[in-house]
Amino acid sequence: MAKPTLAFFDFASCEGCQIEFTNYGDAATLELLKHVDVVEFREAMTETTGGRIDIALVEGSFTREADRARLQDIRHRARVVIAYGACACTGGINALKNHQDDFAEYVYGEHATMPHLESGTARPISAAIKVDYEVPGCPISKDELLLVLSNLLHGTEHVTPPYPVCVECKRRETVCRYDEGDHCMGQVARAGCGAPCPADGIPCEACRGFVDDANLTALEKVLMERAGFSQKRAVGKSRMFTANLRS
Amino acid sequence: MSAFFIEGRDFELFVDAVIGARRVVGPVAKRTKFVYAELESAEELRLDFDVTILPPKKVFFPPSQDLVRFSDGVVGGCIDPVETVLLGVHFYDVKGIDMTDFLFRERNEDWNYLAQREATTIVASSIQSISPRAFWSSVGAEVEPQGHDAFLTKVNGGYLFETRTPKGEALLGYGSFREATDAEVGAAALANAAAMKQCPERLDYPSEAIAEKVRDSFGDVAMWDELAKDCFSCGSCNTVCPTCYCFDVRDAWNLDQASGTRTRYWDACLTREFATVTMAGGGTENFREHHSARFRHRFMRKAAYLNEKLGGPACTGCGRCSQACTADIADPVRVITHIMEVSS
Repeated sequence: MAKPTLAFFDFASCEGCQIEFTNYGDAATLELLKHVDVVEFREAMTETTGGRIDIALVEGSFTREADRARLQDIRHRARVVIAYGACACTGGINALKNHQDDFAEYVYGEHATMPHLESGTARPISAAIKVDYEVPGCPISKDELLLVLSNLLHGTEHVTPPYPVCVECKRRETVCRYDEGDHCMGQVARAGCGAPCPADGIPCEACRGFVDDANLTALEKVLMERAGFSQKRAVGKSRMFTANLRS
Repeated sequence: MSAFFIEGRDFELFVDAVIGARRVVGPVAKRTKFVYAELESAEELRLDFDVTILPPKKVFFPPSQDLVRFSDGVVGGCIDPVETVLLGVHFYDVKGIDMTDFLFRERNEDWNYLAQREATTIVASSIQSISPRAFWSSVGAEVEPQGHDAFLTKVNGGYLFETRTPKGEALLGYGSFREATDAEVGAAALANAAAMKQCPERLDYPSEAIAEKVRDSFGDVAMWDELAKDCFSCGSCNTVCPTCYCFDVRDAWNLDQASGTRTRYWDACLTREFATVTMAGGGTENFREHHSARFRHRFMRKAAYLNEKLGGPACTGCGRCSQACTADIADPVRVITHIMEVSS
């Protein structure tokens, strides 16, 4: 039986999730290549493909109308489309600009009007095409992506953990950021990453998005009462990766 | 049961000698908190800990535990107990372990837990520092701590070492113990009684009255909604609890796509999907869909449902849930006192 083909595509993003994939290292990558044929991967090879693909991994957010045709072409050619990384799954950090109007001047100064900088609302790729699986995170957890691919190869269902990051923090017995006078959003952030940031003393920024029914009212209260945030900062705090998930 | 005494200067030598012979797990510092960890030397041991982030049940029931490994159609179990001394367990955690011992043994004996439990010698220790949210002096006072093999009490510049089982007695050979005097035994009893008086929080009602009133409050939806208003459904109150024992099982393939592992992970009934079940004919149903129903369920389990089986509440008063809850709504003392005072 022929190995399934795997292709990587990128839209508005830093391509850090592709780089994260290369962090598997030689041994793991070569092992994986026994099971899939990589036919397009801009960060790691020069060849591209115009033909049919079994698994398309799409990184980056959908920010221009021109992206729609390219996304539709990928969808048309691919058996399975996986959105991977925060930008592709929720719009990610790019969606911050959706709530501002002076970002181009702020970032690019006198060059703000250069034509290639023109872009619209940052949206997840699911705003343009049907997505079969999502691997959230900024960057992705490469182990999780591997689990998704393994399940696809075996025809078994992949389940993204639906509970919040606190569960994974406690399982690894990390000292709670709040107990050290810090803040955190692990209570409302979707887990599956293994909670590496709080373990390194860094608050969770909810880069994988929110759990269903996230109690944002309680989050704002806790950020104010326990972390000493102003109301404005408490309300704005969770926008970094979840601007599209907020009103 | 016999009582022995070891001088403070000899105690470290004793611990190092045990470390030389067996795996020893005890409380050690982690940033601003304490955790149970395998000791490399007696210097790491912090018997002055107040409470650990996770309870010592993790020695027998780890947060994630491989159950089965499979490879090319060959399937094997993962039970592989290691002779261990669990050194430095406060009495409330001894009670917690006794409860999980019962729960993992009733009906189906779970040897993934029991094998390591039986390979472990538990040395309890006196409470030298007190956690700010503890209420162990009052909750379930009718339940005796049992199941430990020896009890250490810091007293008179050394430690009183009371053995309770042959496993506990077997440790005597590793240190310079002598028989304790009546005065030392008396001083240890006084020290342990004094710690009980310093417990900062109290639950001033008998367990049976609490169980009845908590059960009766089941239908007071408005009260539970109010109590659970700030609940994140994060499950932290479950994951730090010494008596929680639910787990989820997941399979994962290895890179070779031919072998893999079936692993169990601590689950938490406060999380949203815990009670989601697949229905006959497809689709799912969540039978505790609202967070207040899940919040209420935890109090039913801890204060009422398990009491007949366990002889008292499924709560040891360790205060871990109160500390772990960032919204500070999980404290059993506050919730149960509220129910006792205002619920009709």
